[in-house]
Amino acid sequence: MTEKEAFDTKWDVQLRKGTLELVILAALKGRTMYGLELLNQLRQFETIQITEGTLYPLLDRLKRDELVLANWQQEGETRPRKYYSLTDIGLTKLQLMQDRWNKAVFDINHLLDHPGPAPIKP
Amino acid sequence: MSDREAIHQYLKSLNKYLARLDANDAQEVEREIESHIYDVIDQHESMGKAVQIEEVLAGFGSPRELAQAYVSHITIGSPPPEGFSAIRSIQEGASKGLYWITAFLGYLVGAVMLVLSIVKLWAPEQVGLWSTAGGNSFVVGMVEQSQQQGGELLGFWFTPIFLVAGAGLLWLTFSILKVFKQTRLR
Repeated sequence: MTEKEAFDTKWDVQLRKGTLELVILAALKGRTMYGLELLNQLRQFETIQITEGTLYPLLDRLKRDELVLANWQQEGETRPRKYYSLTDIGLTKLQLMQDRWNKAVFDINHLLDHPGPAPIKP
Repeated sequence: MSDREAIHQYLKSLNKYLARLDANDAQEVEREIESHIYDVIDQHESMGKAVQIEEVLAGFGSPRELAQAYVSHITIGSPPPEGFSAIRSIQEGASKGLYWITAFLGYLVGAVMLVLSIVKLWAPEQVGLWSTAGGNSFVVGMVEQSQQQGGELLGFWFTPIFLVAGAGLLWLTFSILKVFKQTRLR
């Protein structure tokens, strides 16, 4: 692994850790999904490669914090699956996180778009 | 080892490490993971691909790590870095001290207020709230002879006020201790 790749991986891991809760809540907005389904959906994104060992304990915590609702359901012949959806509290928290996320992206982009030597903010 | 055996082994080991969870919660965790594993197998088979059970299990990490991820946020919030256990035990000691001091003072003062409010009914002259030193200090309690300057302040109202305040303090202490317990258990 080159030095650049190693750096990219570390940074990716940190970024993922910090945004994971937002990612899960966002994915569940307006949808009801079971674990594997959610995992498969998220794995389509290059920057959101998470493992089972990360997803399930996090879902469990979100459930305990009453941000998501979990229900065992069985459809036809398939085995029962635990389906997750957002609660009202989860939706509110998602909205708050989304606002902060947008603000952070806006602020960082401002920094990136305004290299020196002029002052960062006039 | 067959796939089924490997899965069984994994879940059995996970069960052991999940011992700190409530039995129902642990069972639900295992059930969900089992359901996931067999779903992945089905998914592979429907696409005509052979499934490597070790790879599927590797996604969950070792049973011990997985269990830790489930247990950590329930027992103590996020797990502290290694080597911090000494600090945590000091913190726990300190909050234990605070817990007992709060319990002692809250219940004692609350109980004394309740008792005084009742005794006032039988001995209205001896129990009361007096202002002394020209209003700079107050004396509350039971005296042999009411000789305090300024006279008793509350009179008839002493009983209802102290009854409510005492009960309120007991309730407040109880509530604070409950919150204490909950935060410590997390």
